[in-house]
Amino acid sequence: MTELVTLEINGERHELAVEPSETLLEVLRNQLRLIGSKRGCDSGGCGCCTVHVDGKAVYSCMLFARSLQNRKVTTIEGLVQDGELDPLQTAFINEGAVQCGYCTCGMIMTAKEFLAKEEQPDEKQIRHAISGNLCRCTGYHKIVEAIKIAGASR
Amino acid sequence: MSLTSVKEYFTPDGNNEVLELLERYGDSAMIVAGGSFVHGLDARDLLFGIEALIDIRNLGLNQVTSDSAGLSVGAMVTFTDLQQVNEIQSSAAFGAVRDALSYPPVQIRNVATVGGNIASACPYFDLPTAAMSLGGVVQAQGPGGTREIELQAFSAGLFQNTLDENEFVTGLVFPALPARSASAFIKLESNANDLAIVNVAARITVDESGSCQQASVVVGGGVAETPVRATASENLLRGEKLSDELLKQAGIAAQSDLQPMSDHRASAAYRSAMAKTLTERALQRALARLNN
Repeated sequence: MTELVTLEINGERHELAVEPSETLLEVLRNQLRLIGSKRGCDSGGCGCCTVHVDGKAVYSCMLFARSLQNRKVTTIEGLVQDGELDPLQTAFINEGAVQCGYCTCGMIMTAKEFLAKEEQPDEKQIRHAISGNLCRCTGYHKIVEAIKIAGASR
Repeated sequence: MSLTSVKEYFTPDGNNEVLELLERYGDSAMIVAGGSFVHGLDARDLLFGIEALIDIRNLGLNQVTSDSAGLSVGAMVTFTDLQQVNEIQSSAAFGAVRDALSYPPVQIRNVATVGGNIASACPYFDLPTAAMSLGGVVQAQGPGGTREIELQAFSAGLFQNTLDENEFVTGLVFPALPARSASAFIKLESNANDLAIVNVAARITVDESGSCQQASVVVGGGVAETPVRATASENLLRGEKLSDELLKQAGIAAQSDLQPMSDHRASAAYRSAMAKTLTERALQRALARLNN
């Protein structure tokens, strides 16, 4: 049976009718057309659906939306502030860390939480931090560089 | 996820409400904690006929308390929460749990719970192996009241636990260990976000002279249908000085307690060989922590 779930998504309050087994990713993409978060493996293995719930990185493909009553969700679409890209987004563009782009939004959301916790991360820490996100194009080097630069630019 | 048979999602506010729902839905109900392994169960066709999901996040089971009896962890405590606990971060005795929590990616650690991880009875999980080496005890609530079940007796086979009908996991207790105890855990995985090929946890307690008083070696990750105590290894260690040669022999002995499975991750022979090596290394790591 469908029930109403209240979520704050990218700073906006939404009341959404949600099916019992509907995932957060399905709600974001199908109901709200927030299609930055991608459906990849759909089983918590690839990371391209990563968003934040209350500031913490999660796989949105494996979270039941019904479990998130009154929680705060941030997606890649919520990172732009006053029309300005997030430093991570800028660094990914400048460093050429985007190839096909399918992993990018999830990668940035993972890096965003990580940089909020780590002041000056080294390369090993960065690589460990993105261990839950797959990229099949770049070989990770430019992604790691972009995260390093975004971290240092603060 | 498909979960086409699911018709209801409940978020009860108290244990009694959970018990009522379990009573009402019986085998067609499933308890959900963090929910991060639901897809894993679904992919294995284990959720056939599940109509009601019962989410236990509003029961207040997210507390960690520590006293002289040990460390008590609520079922809804996430891996990230548990990593913040002082004892887990710094004590040599809890080294195995600290190690086990370091493997999954942050997206899993932020969601996966202690209760869900234990209750799933997945032989490839890491925390059950680590917790078993520390003598972990599962707390459960059922219609008849609360009950404690030794973790070692909790898993009954592949994805099968020994909970009674309409009973659910409310927490996990790590009983206090004697002084001069240390533990370690090692996981072999094919990539940074996969289930274990083999995992091993070792816990040792020594006396003032450095002689081994207690040893607990647990091997998991598909070396049998549940994590298993490597009793042959433990028997070798007990009462002895822990030399490099003895730890090596303990690794070899561990193989005799296993009935490894062959699957797409590894063959039975490879699992057995790795269990030997990882047992020796986990013991070395635990010993190093003891000496620090």
